[in-house]
This record gives sequence, structure tokens and C-alpha cells, in this order.
Amino acid sequence: MRISTILGMALQSLFRVPATRSYPQERTPSPERLRGQLRWNPEKCTGCAVCVKDCPAVAIELLEVDKAAKRFVLRYHTDRCIFCSQCVQSCRFKCLSLSNEAWELAALDKQAFTVDYGRDEDIHALVEKPASTDDPPRL
Amino acid sequence: MTTQPDSAATPKRFTIPIGPQHPALKEPGFFEFTVEGETVIGATLRLGYAHRGIEKAVVSRTWVQNLYLLERVCGICSHIHSLAYCLGVEKLAGVTPPPRAQAIRVLIAELERMHSHLLWLGVAAHDAGFETLFMYSWRDRETILDLFEQISGNRVNHSINTLGGVKFDLTAEQIVSVLKAVELMEERARYYLDLVRNDPMLGQRIRGIGTMSAAEAHRMGVVGPTARASGVGRDLRVEAPYAAYTAIPVVVMLETDGDLQARFIVRIREMFESCRIIRVLLDHLPEGDLQARMPRRIPEGETIARVEAPRGELFYFIKSNGADMPERIKLRTPTLCNLGSVLALCIGRQLADIPMLLIGTDPCFSCNDRAVVIHQAGNREKWTWEQFRRYGNEALR
Amino acid sequence: MNALGTLLLFPGGLALLLVALLAEWISRKLLARLQNRVGPRWFQPLADTVKLLAKEEVIPEGVHRVLFEFLPVLSLAAVLTAALAVPLFGVVPATSYAGDLIVTVYLLSLLTLCTSLAGLITDDRYAAMGGLRVLSQLFSYEAPFLLALLGPAVAAESWQITRITAHAGSNVWMLFTQPVGFVVAVIGLMGKLELSPFDAPEAHTEIVAGSLTEYSGRGLALFRLSRNVALVVGLTLVAALYLGGVSDPLAFAVKTLALLLVITTVQALFARLRIDQTIGLWWHYGVLLALGQWFLILIGKGAA
Repeated sequence: MRISTILGMALQSLFRVPATRSYPQERTPSPERLRGQLRWNPEKCTGCAVCVKDCPAVAIELLEVDKAAKRFVLRYHTDRCIFCSQCVQSCRFKCLSLSNEAWELAALDKQAFTVDYGRDEDIHALVEKPASTDDPPRL
Repeated sequence: MTTQPDSAATPKRFTIPIGPQHPALKEPGFFEFTVEGETVIGATLRLGYAHRGIEKAVVSRTWVQNLYLLERVCGICSHIHSLAYCLGVEKLAGVTPPPRAQAIRVLIAELERMHSHLLWLGVAAHDAGFETLFMYSWRDRETILDLFEQISGNRVNHSINTLGGVKFDLTAEQIVSVLKAVELMEERARYYLDLVRNDPMLGQRIRGIGTMSAAEAHRMGVVGPTARASGVGRDLRVEAPYAAYTAIPVVVMLETDGDLQARFIVRIREMFESCRIIRVLLDHLPEGDLQARMPRRIPEGETIARVEAPRGELFYFIKSNGADMPERIKLRTPTLCNLGSVLALCIGRQLADIPMLLIGTDPCFSCNDRAVVIHQAGNREKWTWEQFRRYGNEALR
Repeated sequence: MNALGTLLLFPGGLALLLVALLAEWISRKLLARLQNRVGPRWFQPLADTVKLLAKEEVIPEGVHRVLFEFLPVLSLAAVLTAALAVPLFGVVPATSYAGDLIVTVYLLSLLTLCTSLAGLITDDRYAAMGGLRVLSQLFSYEAPFLLALLGPAVAAESWQITRITAHAGSNVWMLFTQPVGFVVAVIGLMGKLELSPFDAPEAHTEIVAGSLTEYSGRGLALFRLSRNVALVVGLTLVAALYLGGVSDPLAFAVKTLALLLVITTVQALFARLRIDQTIGLWWHYGVLLALGQWFLILIGKGAA
């Protein structure tokens, strides 16, 4: 009868590189499909707002600048997002994607968690308008 | 639930609370054990500390949004929850997902089973004070988590299911890395099986402890690996095959000893079976679409969906009134079925065996917690919302 | 002045405390590597101690305040006193008198008694359970451990540590002449210090932190420190008696370190024993083995 079955493996481990990954000094490249921060391409968006409707975490707001000219600003709340990629699925015009690079999203102030996407002039136009600071209706 | 001795207690007895906060239970459940010296003579269980009101929350979200809420019922078997939900909703809508989607669903489910069993092995080893085994099994589990990240983009909440199919396809490289991982898992499972069967010191802690006969297992209604370790061959993958299991016959792993060691062995042997299923799946992976079209409003009706989660039978009842939100979803997780057996098994055991017995059923409290009132001797009552809220607040106190 | 230096700086006092922390680090690091982890950095035990000393000490309700605060101090004092008669780092011990081996062993046991009492004086049920388990374990390993240390003493015909080490240094290593005694002594040391797999008294998946559950801040730091010092003292004692004396300080340090590595490796290999299994192990095998060896030594002595 053996006294310990794990002895061999333990002694082998002594001469192996530890399995611990010493993040952040050492980074493993993120896989291609990693679901990180949301990205929005304003060119193709028609403003159908299915993404807003389907988002389970109320993380997307689609703000209208000029509806007729299809000019929108997408306000994205990183802190609410659960990175489920439902919006990417729901978008029929393929203007949404999740970045596999931007996943280190911790920040010290809450402002960093609200990201406005869109053409620069649209975001400017939105800032000049008195923005409603209310939270969107919670589910 | 309670199996306390008669009230004529002698002063030598005293009670040891385990939970709601205790190092052996990382989740909030409350066990009160009456001990005489080191021997347990009575046990009471109180649940409800992690009641999150999910069943209430689902009725105010759309069918699509619920997918992600229900995926978060459990942190370990996230895929199987959304799978059960999808199967139910698809049945209501009369939609059949394409064969490739069904195969991918089963592939992820089996990977998840392996990762859940490895996680459990680590937790059980930790409770036995066997830290080295704990570290090794959790290290090996990382392989599968990395695989999930590669396939779906997330290590825990894979979100691979969508109503009518799956979201992510398997690329040729991913198939290669899955096969490589499966090979590694088989090698590791062989090692752990040998360890669990032959390690003398671990054997002292698990052999002949908490023995549950097949008759007892039937009577207490235990499910999953806990039942299979007692020789009760309950497995929904065989009894009521779903998704791609209809094409792949699953061999049910049975052990007849019914003790803690059998529960270790059953779970490790299931890893071999999972590896086999994954190989067969990848050999005959059907080509074609990933999703079938789903209506946004689900036709009126009600259905049940049952799947074999890593811990046992997972049960979903889904009722639709034709709107874009469900009218009622009721779920029952395997932990609730298994917890009763712990109370019965722990009587007469050493206090040191209790965490092991408890962990032997692989409990998961947050998925399990519902507000439950057990009527005794026909004493019926109806609770108002106000009473529920008060109950919830008291449970937190 | 010289005596004060011996007490406070070297080899007792400060040097001993630092070496105790170093021993904890070596043990933790090796354990981590055996488990394929990275493990702590070299200053981690010191940082832990400083942190604990700086933290608030919570004194629970219903406890005897003076006793609660006094017990950790007493246990640290006891193990530091035990170190005086032991050839730390291979240098000549500060004191030496007939029978100091017995005194040292009992001073080391005082740590265990303090730990047990620390659990029993609180209202906490985990601590009470832990305190009882500490006592049960004390009663079971104490006899074989003492018998195992007395083996070399009988061989050297003296109960004075310096005489025994002198005898050990001039003869074959007692590891080879009394192998059973060595094994019992090493395992006894592990039982004494509640190291895995004999850590049932503080099995945290069962009874949280055992008898030290209610301790925090300074008290906890002192208990941890005393346990580390006891580890060093125990290792020194076993190495000096069984591994060929203390004639060469460098060789002695290597021997002590090797013993520490062996003890740590043993910790990584086993599942925890239940308290009844621990006691069974000692009374079924430990005592009988140690007694058997004793009789063999006595017969050998009688024949010579």
C-alpha cells in the first residue's frame, strides 16, 4: 500500500513553472472572441433601437440628434453591461461589436463608465443640448 | 427541514452552527448541528439567505432578456440553466434548433460538467484538508475555462445559447484545442481516479462515510451523481434525451457503495464519459445553420423542460400568455432534492465528517434558495406580499 | 551586558524571532511550489506580523479580559524561554543544567496549553470545540514525543541537552541507531505544532480557526509568532539529538533546514486526519513504537 498517492506529482511540481499567472506583469493575449467593451459604428445604424430593447442590463441608450438624417449618439454604460453580446446578435445592420482588447475597465470615477459613441459633431451637438441626467427607467 | 432529537435534551449536548457564514460553506445556508462531544445527534437546516427573487424578476423581462438572467441563477452551471430555458421556450414556440446548434449545446454542457466536477473535487479535497489536491484540480479546471473563453468569449457566463440555437460557431482550430483539452482531462481524470481509490489518508476520510443505500436514495429523492453513487441510475440524458443526446447514447456511471468515496468516483468516472461524448460529437459534427428564427412573442401555453445539470436534474416550468414576457417561470435546482439527505446521513457521524457529507452532494445554495413554507398536518395559510417581505428581512437579520 | 545580549539579540530574542519568520516563509514557499503555485514573497510573514500587531484587538464579550490578553504573552514567553537551553544555530545554549531537556519539552507544551485555554475561556462554540481538540491532541502526542526525545537521552545517560548533543556529536547519528524514535519525534513535532495533517484542532472547514477563532490583532500575532518560534526550537532539538550533534554550525543549519523541508513536504501530501483518527494513530502506533525502542535501548545498555 502506498502511503501517499500524490507524492510523485508534488515532487514533479517542484521543478515545474508555477501555474499561477502573474498578471499584470505578465499578460496572456486575449482570445479573438473575448467579449469586452462595446463598440458602435454610427455609419450603418438605422436607429431601430432593437439593441436597446433587448439589452438585459439597460446598458445602452440611443440618443437622437436628428432622426430624419439618421444621426444618433449611442450612450453606453460600461458599469451596467454584462457583456452578453445580445445587442451584437440583435443588430441586423452589424454596427455593434464587442472589443477583445478593451477589457480592463476598472476606473476610479463613475464618469469613465459612461461612453458616448458617434460622430464628433453629433456628440458635441448633444453636449450643447441640456442633457437629461435622469437614469433610464429600470426594469 | 429538521431531524432534531426529542426535546428532552440532556445538558451535555450543545449546538454548533454551520453557516450562514462559515469557512466550510462559501454560500449562505444555515445548518445547526446538535453534538454530544464530537458526535452529531441532530441537524436543522434553514435556507433562504440568498433568495434573490429571480422567479419574480423574470416575469418583468422579455423572453430574450431572461436568457441572461436565468444564466446567472448559478455561477457554475450557467450553460445548463439557459439550455433548460431555451428548450422550454423553443418547445412552446414550436421551433427546432438546427442540428449543429444542438451539437454545440451538448458539447458545452459536457465541458461544463467536467469543469463542475473538477471544481467539486477541489472543494471536497479542501474540506478534507487536502490542499494539494485542491490546488491541482482547480489548476486543471483552468484548461476548460480557457476553452470556454476561446469558444464563447467568457469564462463563466458563456451566453452561448440563444432562443432558437447558439450564438457562436466552432472553428477548426477550436475543435483541435477542444480535442487536446479532452485528452488532458482524460489523463488527469485517470490520475484523480487512482488517487481517490487508493490514497490511504483520504480513504480514511471518505471510505464508508455517509453510506446511503439505493432504497434510501430512492426514498429521499436524491438526484444526479449523489443518486448514481448509491446505484440509482437517474440520468435525464438517458431517461428523457434532449438536444444532441437523442443521437448519442450516454452510458450512466453507477457505483453501488453509496458512501462518500463512491460519490467521488462517480463524478470522476463521469468525466471520462463526458470526454467520450465530446469526441463522438466532434467526429460527427453536423454542418449547417446555427439559429432558427424565433418569434418575439411566444404562443400561449405552458411546458416543462428538464435537463441533467452537473449536480442532477434541473427542472423548469414555463408558462406563456402570448406576450413578449413569460407569465410564470418556476425552477427547481438539484441541490434542494439532495440537501435533505445530508440531514439524514449526518446523524451519528463525527463533526469532522459533516462538511464532507454536505459537500458530497455538491450543494449550490444561491441557485437553490426559494421561499418555501412547509405545511405541517394540513395547516394551510396564505401569505401576503407584506408577510413575504417581513420573512425576507428576518432571514437577513 | 553580555547576558542581556544573549537574551535579546543573539541567539535568543530578536535573531530567533527573525529566524522563526524565515522558517515560516520557507515552509509556505515550499508548500506553494509543491502545489504548483508561486507562493509568498520573502517578507510576507514579517508583513503579516506587523499588520496584525498594528490592527485593533477585539476582545469579545463574556471573556476574562486579563487572561485573554495574558495568554498570548505567556505562550511567547514560554517558547522563548524554551529556546534558552537549546543549541540554537549550533552555538552553546545560554543555560544548561541537569534535566533541562524535560523543562524544554514542557515549556513547549505550555504553548499548547495556552492555545487550548484561549479557546476555552471564550463563549465561542468553535473556539471551545477547538480548545477541547487541542487538549485531546496534547494528551495523545505528548507521551510518544517525550519518549522519542528521551531515547537519545538514555543513550547518552544524561537528561541535559548539552551532554546529549556532545554524545550525539561523537557517535553515529541517532537517526540510524534509533530510526523509530526519529520518526516519532518528527511526527510528534508536527502534532505539537498542529501542522497538517494533524491540524484537526484548527480545521477551518469544520471549526473556523479552532481555539484562536476569537483572537485578532496583537494576540493573534503573538500566538502565530510563538508557534513559529516553537517550530524552530523543536526543529533544533530534533536535529541536535538525532542528526549528529552541533559541532559544525553550518552543517547544523543545513540539517535543520532539511528537517524543515521534510516536515513541509509531509504537510502537502495528506488529507487531514479526524481528531479521533489522530488520537488513534498516536495511542495505537506512536506510543508502542517509542516504548518498544526504549526497551531495545535499555536491553542494549544492559547487555553492554
